[in-house]
Amino acid sequence: MWRVLIVEDDPQMREFFAASVLRSPELRLESAAAGVAEAKACLDHAAHGVDVLLTDLGLPDGSGLDVIRYARRGHPECEALVISMFGDEDNVLASIEAGALGYIHKDAAPDDIANTILEMKAGASPISPMIARRVLSKYRAMQGNSAPAPLYTAQAAIKTEAFEAEKGMLSRREQEVLELIARGFSYSEIAELKALSVHTIQTHIKSLYGKLEVHSKMEAVMEATRMGLLPQPAAASASK
Amino acid sequence: MTPGRAACGLGWCWLLTCWLALFTPAAQAEPDGALLLEHAQGTVIVGGETVRSALTLPYHWDNTNPGQRGEAIFDFAFPLSQVPDDVWGIYLSALGNAYEIWLNGTLLQRHGTLAGGPDEAAAYNGADAARAPRYVSIDAGHLRALNQLRIHIRADVGRRGGLAPPLIGPQDVVYPVYQQAYRWRVTGSVGVVAFSLVVGLTALALWSSHAGLRRAGRLGRDPVYLFAAVAQLFWTMYVGDVLVEAPPLPWPWWGMLQVISLGVWGSSMALACMELADWRDQAWTTRLRRVLGGLMLLCPIFAWLSLSRGLPLALTVWYGALGLALLGFVLAFLWSALRQARMEQRIVALAALVNIVVALRDLYVFRIDPVYGTNSWVRYSSVLFGLTMGYVVLLRFRATSQQLQDVMANLAQRVAEKEQALRESYDRLETLARQQERAAERGRILRNMHDGVGAHISSAMRQLQGAAGGTAAPARDEVLLTLRDAMDQLKLSIDAIHLVPGDVTALLANLRYRLGPRFKAMNIELQWDVDLLPLCPQLDAGAMSELQFILFEALSNVMQHAQAHVLRIEGHAPPEGPVSVRVIDDGLGFDPEASARKGLAGQRERAAAIGARLQIASRPGRTVVEILLDI
Repeated sequence: MWRVLIVEDDPQMREFFAASVLRSPELRLESAAAGVAEAKACLDHAAHGVDVLLTDLGLPDGSGLDVIRYARRGHPECEALVISMFGDEDNVLASIEAGALGYIHKDAAPDDIANTILEMKAGASPISPMIARRVLSKYRAMQGNSAPAPLYTAQAAIKTEAFEAEKGMLSRREQEVLELIARGFSYSEIAELKALSVHTIQTHIKSLYGKLEVHSKMEAVMEATRMGLLPQPAAASASK
Repeated sequence: MTPGRAACGLGWCWLLTCWLALFTPAAQAEPDGALLLEHAQGTVIVGGETVRSALTLPYHWDNTNPGQRGEAIFDFAFPLSQVPDDVWGIYLSALGNAYEIWLNGTLLQRHGTLAGGPDEAAAYNGADAARAPRYVSIDAGHLRALNQLRIHIRADVGRRGGLAPPLIGPQDVVYPVYQQAYRWRVTGSVGVVAFSLVVGLTALALWSSHAGLRRAGRLGRDPVYLFAAVAQLFWTMYVGDVLVEAPPLPWPWWGMLQVISLGVWGSSMALACMELADWRDQAWTTRLRRVLGGLMLLCPIFAWLSLSRGLPLALTVWYGALGLALLGFVLAFLWSALRQARMEQRIVALAALVNIVVALRDLYVFRIDPVYGTNSWVRYSSVLFGLTMGYVVLLRFRATSQQLQDVMANLAQRVAEKEQALRESYDRLETLARQQERAAERGRILRNMHDGVGAHISSAMRQLQGAAGGTAAPARDEVLLTLRDAMDQLKLSIDAIHLVPGDVTALLANLRYRLGPRFKAMNIELQWDVDLLPLCPQLDAGAMSELQFILFEALSNVMQHAQAHVLRIEGHAPPEGPVSVRVIDDGLGFDPEASARKGLAGQRERAAAIGARLQIASRPGRTVVEILLDI
């Protein structure tokens, strides 16, 4: 039985999602909030904790991303899904980097909503080909290959370049899986092609999500250091 | 006239007086210890006839024997109460055109050739010794108690021949008198010649180097420079005549040239003044220019009559006419100068007035009541003119340089303005290009909204209206399907923004990701056979969006109409040939030719717009929609 917190400012939408959650016997509606502050309070004061955070991004008193970050920081057991109208690239990537593990469309059928939540809890992590391509490009740029990576060149790059696992953040296997997702293959097709189980693939993706979140935090720290908001690592260690 | 102006005028007159006084010769008087011999026994030989008579000096040949050449011998007898034992001398302010001086039977000095020799005709009209004052030294021992001085001259027609009264006395008395006269007539002339030459050449150089601005600020040669140059150069020739004893031309041609020079000088000065006063285009100055031109044309005739034919009145009349014409002009010029506050014009006007007055005085002294052996004043007063002209030329040159600097500065500014304008026009073009780009994108989005979401929503509304009107059974699923199509289309349009241009594989993958759940929900099996396709460089962002639309239409048709069980999406790129994308279903099929479906027409139109070929083959159980893209 997973306890769900819904954060959505539109009352009609909120009720729809609440009803969708209530349809499933495996889900329990812990609470429904209309804003960032209320959501944070719910997270902190939930009697038995929150297992699933279902949040809209555009909230009256801030961004749903803040709620996700707050939940990930204070309640690591809580996993987040974003409610998105279009599931568009920019918003989804930002959500993943904030710590979300997927998204639900606003126009999804009630059964699909419950299913998506349950699948996530079971370890499934959906990722779109567009996001996969973006993530690949991003990591390739970080590895010094600054060319944006259309798929055609991307695969060649993966094959020819010895992937530096210790330096980069993606394993070779993760990259191969991402590559195939970007080309449109389904998880089961990839599993067949790579002689893996679908579960393994889902694990790869889930670990990728975690890496993206960590990486985005690192970027934030680096940016803050660069701007002088945090002490330089060398200076900090010297002062100890 | 204001007191200031009056004072200025007076100052100029005073300066002029002082300046003239410097060179004014002592009157032909008898200094202490010297004798002025004014009476002689004369023997005049003209045309073979000899006339003896007592003569009073000065003897002006042209007055006494107009139009005739000949010779004259003057015998002076003068006793000395005491025979001097020091050096004496004789000073003659003028004599010639050739002469011999004998004292007590001894030849003291000779200049030129006297007639009476074998080449008598050749003796005339050659060199002229009558230009400079003369001094003859008498050594001690030559003088006696009773002395005989004989001066023999040869005179040409109209050449100011004759004899001024000799002044005889001790050297220390007579020589200073000669020196002063020499300075007055010869040294002064050299100064005037040099000065006029410098001014004339300077003005000529400035004129020929274009260094002038015409009226109204137009660049061009300034005629003031030219007229000043011509005047000064001709004046140089006129005044320089006194220094040329043996002229390059025979008499009277040389004399005519001098008269012409004088006329050119006066006329050029008048023309220069006209330019200074901006009178060039006025009717009366045009008339005056004609008068001056006419006088210059007549000049050789009058000069010839006077210098060769013994009609001195001809030249006198000509000089008078020129003088009067110029006097009238100078008075008008002076009047205008006084009324206008132009300094350069006033200075020039004053100098012109002084010159014309002096010239009229010279006209009187030389031609109307001739005095033999005197000097012209105008040669010196002309220096004033030269000075003012030089001053004006410098003023104008300075003004011109300033104007040129202004023009250059103006030019630099205009270049800067042009650059600015160019930059602005470039910016405008860029803005325009951006606007066009935006307009094209907007057009594309609008079209997608119209053909996609708009069409679906209106279709959904029609379905609901039909249900409400009771004409058809309410079809909830149908409406839901239509709206779902609209939503999918919207999502795909948003995804299209991020598609990498030319990456067809990514486009197909995205389509599958978006529509996959619906196929699953409809129990349509999806078969995926898509290779990694090469980039299609001809597909830009707009074309990608069009391609996406075409494929969505094909897939939507399968979902809505085909009742298919299997949908196959293929993407292949054979080594030779175009990239091929195929959507294959096993549904009912349709007749692509007979079918007037609106969606199909839109697909074809869009395919043509991006340069792709659309091929549709359909029969029951197998429909293939193929898009071929050239690389």
